[in-house]
Amino acid sequence: MRKDLGTVPHRFRSDSCPKLWPCEDRRESPPTSASHLFSKGYIVNPTLAATLVERLQLTENGHRHLIIECDPGHGILTKALLNTGASVIALQSDKKFIPHLKSLQEKLNGKLQVVYCDFFKMDPDNHNTVHPPVVLSQELFPSLGIEANSWSEDIPFKVIGTFPPNNERKALWKLLHDLYVCSSIYKYGRVELCMFISEKQYEKLAADPTNPDLYHVLSVLWQVSCKIKLLYKVSKILLHFKKKLYYISESIFRFLQHSSKYQNLCFVQIIPRKNLFTKYLTPINYDIFFHMVKQCFGRRSAFLTHHLHSLTPYDPVAILNEAGINTNFKSCEVYPQDYKHLFETIECSSDNDNKWLYDRVLENIEC
Amino acid sequence: MATLRWGRSAAELSRALRSSGHPCTTAKEGILVGLWGSRRNSSASPCEQERRKDWGHVELLEVLEARVRQLQAESVSEVTVKRVEVTRIPADSGRAGGTPPPAKAELRIGGSWARKLDQDQQMLQKRQKLVREKLQAKGRFLAPEFKLKAKAKAKSPTKPSAMSMAAPKARSAATAKLPLSESQLVSKQPANRNDRTEEPAEEPVDWGPAQPCEAPLNLNRSEMQHSLKLSLEQQTRQRRLEAFLDCCLATEHMALASRVLTKQYSSPTKQGLITQAMCNTVMLGWARKGSYRELLSVLSIMKAGGFTPDLLSYASILQCLGRVDRDVVVIQRCLEQMAQDGLQLEQLFLEVTLSSEEKAAMLRAVLKAKPDFCPPQPSPQVNTSTLLREVYAKDGPVSYPRLHLPLETLKAMFRQQLSLELASVVHVESVEKVLSPTQKTLEARKTLDTLRRTWEAELHRQLQEAKARLAQLTEQGRPTLYPFLCVLPEDELVQMLLQFLNILPAQGEPFVYLVQRLAMKTFERHILQQRRCRGQLQELEQRYTQYLQLLASDTQMAEPCLPRQHWEMLGPPEPAPPQLWPMMDILSLGKLLLEILVQSVQLPPSLSLSQNSSQPVPMLYHVYTFRGIRQIGFLRPHPAFIQLLEDAAEPSLIFEATDMPMLCPPVPWSSSQSGGFLLSPTKLMRSVDGSLQHQNLLESCPPTELHGALDALTQLGNCAWRVNGRVLDLVLDIFRDKGSAHLGVPPPASEAPRPPLDNLPPDASPHRKAELRAEVTRCLKIAREMHSLWREALYRLSLAQHLRHQVFWLPHNMDFRGRTYPCPPHFNHLGSDLARALLEFAQGRPLGPHGLDWLKIHLINLTGFKKSEPLRARLAFANTMMDDILDSADQPMTGRKWWMDAEDPWQTLACCMEVARAVRSPDPAAFVSHLPIHQDGSCNGLQHYAALGRDSVGASSVNLATSDTPQDVYSGVAAQVEVFRTRDAKQGLKVAQVLEGFISRKVVKQTVMTVVYGVTLYGGRLQIEKRLRELENFPQVFVWEASRYLVHLVFRSLREMFSSTRTIQHWLTESARLISQAGSAVEWVTPLGIPIIQPYHKESKLVIRGGLQSITWNTSADVNQKPKVVKQKNGFPPNFIHSLDSCHMMLTALHCYRKGLTFVSVHDCFWTHACDVSVMNQVCREQFIRLHSQPILEDLSAFLVRRFCSADSAQPGTKGRLNSKLLEMLLAVPRKGDFDLEKVKTSTYFFS
Repeated sequence: MRKDLGTVPHRFRSDSCPKLWPCEDRRESPPTSASHLFSKGYIVNPTLAATLVERLQLTENGHRHLIIECDPGHGILTKALLNTGASVIALQSDKKFIPHLKSLQEKLNGKLQVVYCDFFKMDPDNHNTVHPPVVLSQELFPSLGIEANSWSEDIPFKVIGTFPPNNERKALWKLLHDLYVCSSIYKYGRVELCMFISEKQYEKLAADPTNPDLYHVLSVLWQVSCKIKLLYKVSKILLHFKKKLYYISESIFRFLQHSSKYQNLCFVQIIPRKNLFTKYLTPINYDIFFHMVKQCFGRRSAFLTHHLHSLTPYDPVAILNEAGINTNFKSCEVYPQDYKHLFETIECSSDNDNKWLYDRVLENIEC
Repeated sequence: MATLRWGRSAAELSRALRSSGHPCTTAKEGILVGLWGSRRNSSASPCEQERRKDWGHVELLEVLEARVRQLQAESVSEVTVKRVEVTRIPADSGRAGGTPPPAKAELRIGGSWARKLDQDQQMLQKRQKLVREKLQAKGRFLAPEFKLKAKAKAKSPTKPSAMSMAAPKARSAATAKLPLSESQLVSKQPANRNDRTEEPAEEPVDWGPAQPCEAPLNLNRSEMQHSLKLSLEQQTRQRRLEAFLDCCLATEHMALASRVLTKQYSSPTKQGLITQAMCNTVMLGWARKGSYRELLSVLSIMKAGGFTPDLLSYASILQCLGRVDRDVVVIQRCLEQMAQDGLQLEQLFLEVTLSSEEKAAMLRAVLKAKPDFCPPQPSPQVNTSTLLREVYAKDGPVSYPRLHLPLETLKAMFRQQLSLELASVVHVESVEKVLSPTQKTLEARKTLDTLRRTWEAELHRQLQEAKARLAQLTEQGRPTLYPFLCVLPEDELVQMLLQFLNILPAQGEPFVYLVQRLAMKTFERHILQQRRCRGQLQELEQRYTQYLQLLASDTQMAEPCLPRQHWEMLGPPEPAPPQLWPMMDILSLGKLLLEILVQSVQLPPSLSLSQNSSQPVPMLYHVYTFRGIRQIGFLRPHPAFIQLLEDAAEPSLIFEATDMPMLCPPVPWSSSQSGGFLLSPTKLMRSVDGSLQHQNLLESCPPTELHGALDALTQLGNCAWRVNGRVLDLVLDIFRDKGSAHLGVPPPASEAPRPPLDNLPPDASPHRKAELRAEVTRCLKIAREMHSLWREALYRLSLAQHLRHQVFWLPHNMDFRGRTYPCPPHFNHLGSDLARALLEFAQGRPLGPHGLDWLKIHLINLTGFKKSEPLRARLAFANTMMDDILDSADQPMTGRKWWMDAEDPWQTLACCMEVARAVRSPDPAAFVSHLPIHQDGSCNGLQHYAALGRDSVGASSVNLATSDTPQDVYSGVAAQVEVFRTRDAKQGLKVAQVLEGFISRKVVKQTVMTVVYGVTLYGGRLQIEKRLRELENFPQVFVWEASRYLVHLVFRSLREMFSSTRTIQHWLTESARLISQAGSAVEWVTPLGIPIIQPYHKESKLVIRGGLQSITWNTSADVNQKPKVVKQKNGFPPNFIHSLDSCHMMLTALHCYRKGLTFVSVHDCFWTHACDVSVMNQVCREQFIRLHSQPILEDLSAFLVRRFCSADSAQPGTKGRLNSKLLEMLLAVPRKGDFDLEKVKTSTYFFS
């Protein structure tokens, strides 16, 4: 019955669930001095870098990859990436590393470009004042010689990096909006993200009705738009993040070390689906789709028919029957692709403007 | 054993009760007596043996029994007395009546009560034991000490004190349960001589025995400690319980109130929550009903709770005694006890506000005991502050203005306004362009009508269901929303809910706002209802008619006095309206109502937009919208309903009575709660919903302190207005056409840009589609904004049209800083240029010798063309432009349209017309003008700062000093900035060089203006950035750097020019910082005596779960939260200056009134008739000098020291350090400069 599920990666599928990186590396004691601190937050272990590169399968089919690396820091991973023959653009948000990376750039003529830029703050909402490291994609990418691919074409480039640990959700939402309206990086085509993300967040992203506690709005929206694949899982002790929390006190640091929940980071691959916009879902009406899913998860234990009353003037039962969804389902029992299907069923039902009880401006009202 | 026995007798009691429902035979009565008799015997003998076994229980029982006996005795005697009276004077029974005659229904209740009693009794005893153990463990319990004496007198004198501790509580707990059953029982008994003779002996137990004088003090202290100990949550529960009981009182559900109170009392955990106010409330309720026994049982709860009866309690007791017509002895004893409690009889009549009917009942009782008593009349008190001495001086010339209308007209106006407020909503014809109704329109109206009738029926049904459900819960002794639901008649509630549907905007509204609005509306109507029911209408009419004699044109007054003084002389102060319910109840009630509404209203399938559905759809649907991680519930009307409303195009708008200007002069303000509208509640000081701090502060300050503010507000409200019909006609023409953004007439939403949706090629790229979506959203947003502006104008113009041929008044109140505002929100003189142009004084005055000149100068002021020219030049300019002025007046829309380029075009036009009429009249000096002439303070905030600091340079730049031409502070600052810039540019600073030639008055104006009101470097930079972006040839890359540089220069220039201003500002800010860091909100008292407190606290959250959605109410006015330091600190300087400018305005208003002028104000803009401008100007200057001759800052410092640096400055630790630092800061009052204030007297441009 759930034939569309095959495309959704299951958690802990045996082939994509690597063993934990052994964490006997005891050099990583709690930070003590300033010079020590600034070496943190970045991949510092060459072995790890090598493993990641291997997982990315960059050497296959002789294709010359274009990779954007966010915050390379010491450049350990950068070197490993360059070794595969890929060209790398390093977007570094911390000025301190720029000289080091620039020196690296000089050594490798042309294959590495370094830009002072914060990837996750690219294209802010108010366009009037941008100062580096905040930049606009429409200025940055042309200057790097990157051209836009259409949505149906191949992946234009990969982005490798780490979600900002203190606001992963915010970053995920921003990327999601960019993706559904094809703006910012997604203006250049179906950009592949290969990102470190906390295990908890990953579990949420990949959740479906089989684990309803984790299943939420982001799971639906990301799974509908992208293929999500877990490439690698790593114990967090090996990586240190810029997040200030980690420096606050030793006790917190220890706590994080010992609580298994926070220890693991997942390296995930997120590739937008080619068929995202092939039917009735388009960048024009994506906000209605977003609203529909959010409304349904506003009260996740309520019946879908109940929510549909607030979403469309049509008879909810008829709609659900047409979409082939059980009318007794609750919000958290519907699979992501079914949400898309439900949306498209309503959307294609008529040309009438009144098929949705949705108000665009409502989202902007201050209160 | 004891329990058992009691249980048995209680059961018997109930059996007896049931049987007594039938007409009683003597035989049965005999049995009844027998039963009682035997029980009494048992209490006398077997108890003695049992006492040693179980001290506590026996003690308890004895008390209970004694109480029962005593009550029995009382009621018997009462009934006897009544019977005697009835037989003697049958006609009199109605007056004395109040005790309801036993009816079958009540008897059944009595039966169930009795049955319940034995269960409760068992419970009670267990709990009682627990409590007693607890108390003993604590080893201190203040109340019993005097209770013990009570026992000693009334009962056996040999009881060990430890044992009797629990007794008082047990006794009253039990007795409180009894009243109903007892009353039924004993009223059937024949008169018993013994009981009657016993009565005087038993009575003291009720009144409490003679107490040592310290007792009340002791108790008060214990009570205080008690309330201190209560947690925040408990305090909230206490407030809610109080509100519940108040509502019961209002809805006359006294039985419920008593039951809930008793239930609370019998629970050891909730016992501590009972307050004296609660008991007083319930007692008042019983007193109104004339139920003496029930009142006594509440009194016993109160006394057992450790409270001494206070004035309110005695007022209730006496009122009740007055109604039931008791023996003189009882009344006398009551009065004696009252004297012993240190309360004077006169206080009862002076300090307790009761309705006159209640007062009469009280007096009836008092007169019985003291036939020669004469209720004292309040003597008028006069404010004695030095600032106001002249205002209230009895001697000297006084010519208070009168209205131009005769008494009879005013009376008719009063009746009109009264009926309007009684209806509470007003239908006003909309000025929207009306087409003749088509078939479709008529059909839609019909459908709408049917729908509303269906909904009405459904709402009634749902409301009844909800009430029944809640009533059942309340019966069990749980405080619920039941009485809150009953405050309004069901029909009114239903109508109110239905009206809500009409005003819901198409895009919906956040659920929590709707909830709050609905409940607040209910509360306001509740107050109205209260004022309406208790026979106050005739009283009001009588008083108001007498009051009008002061204002009418054709009456004589023996002695001139102010409206408030006259009003106070005409009668006692009105009873205070009920206090606002706690936010928790407000929100719960609103939520309940809203959920009922959502459930009740549905659209039939034929109306819903989809064709295939067969079920009715909800008319209101509930959606979520998202702000980041916040999820906000919205309630929206179904588009089909909006469509229906649009089709029906109903020709009238519905306004609340309080949204309308008044049709008669407002009631003068005589206290913080009475004034303004005739019936609708109006607050003297506006505040955020749910905050009571301002109200409490106002109530706690001596009444004379507020006289200045009360009188000033009354006078502002007494100004009569009328609509300028000619301007209204012109505006309506434009409004009904397509509006005009340039002239401030909002165009309809149909004029909004349309999204280019149609020309999208099918194969457009996703990115193109996304762009289109953004465009669609933008257009929609603009349309929305235009619609809301249009709607606002529609309201205003419809009201203007509605009032076109009437005289009306705008009642005023003030915000928490003392700034005054008219209460009606949509149509007043505070609005935009358009709103102001629609209004003029209803009362005209001849122009006189200089009036025409002022009219012309005012005209030029409105155009904004000659701001920096002296008055002569403005007048000369007006004379040269006379041609254009006359042309504008004659052909406003077709002529040369000179007025349209003015700063305030509509007011300019109105003024042009007035000038034209004046110059064309045969004698301009005799021309009666209605147009208000404005006098504006030039940068009023800085004027006050400069005067506070006696700042010479600053003072002359804001026109405090004599000068031939008006000084412009903005140009002054710009010049100073330019000086700094040139210096920097010479030194090679890049930014300074770039800015060459760009520094103008305009760039710095906003920042200078707002610096007084606390704008920071950050905000100032944004303002300047905005100005620089507007400059076309300014290199935009430098905007950020240049704005940052400039804002520093502006601040530096201001520091240099207004040296002491910055010092004062700094002093105020730092003091506020220290005060709020120490944990208090900043408070002060204005020179006029208005107490002020800053309502900025850390946000507190109130969450109500369940139902349609859980709601969260955030408020920053919760006094239990710590103050928000940043807001307290940044808010203090501007708020303080605002409180000063309001003082200045009020002083000017009061003095102008004394001189007979018409005066209104828009904060620092004063309005009067053209002929009076020079007088007002002089008064305004004089009062400014008077105000600033006061040691304002020194007074402030002294007040703050008194208020915030108590004796505990020697505290150790950080708190002590903070305290001493604060003291040091407060004492360091900034020094003053050498400016001579008297110069203001001759300054022409101070206000111009």
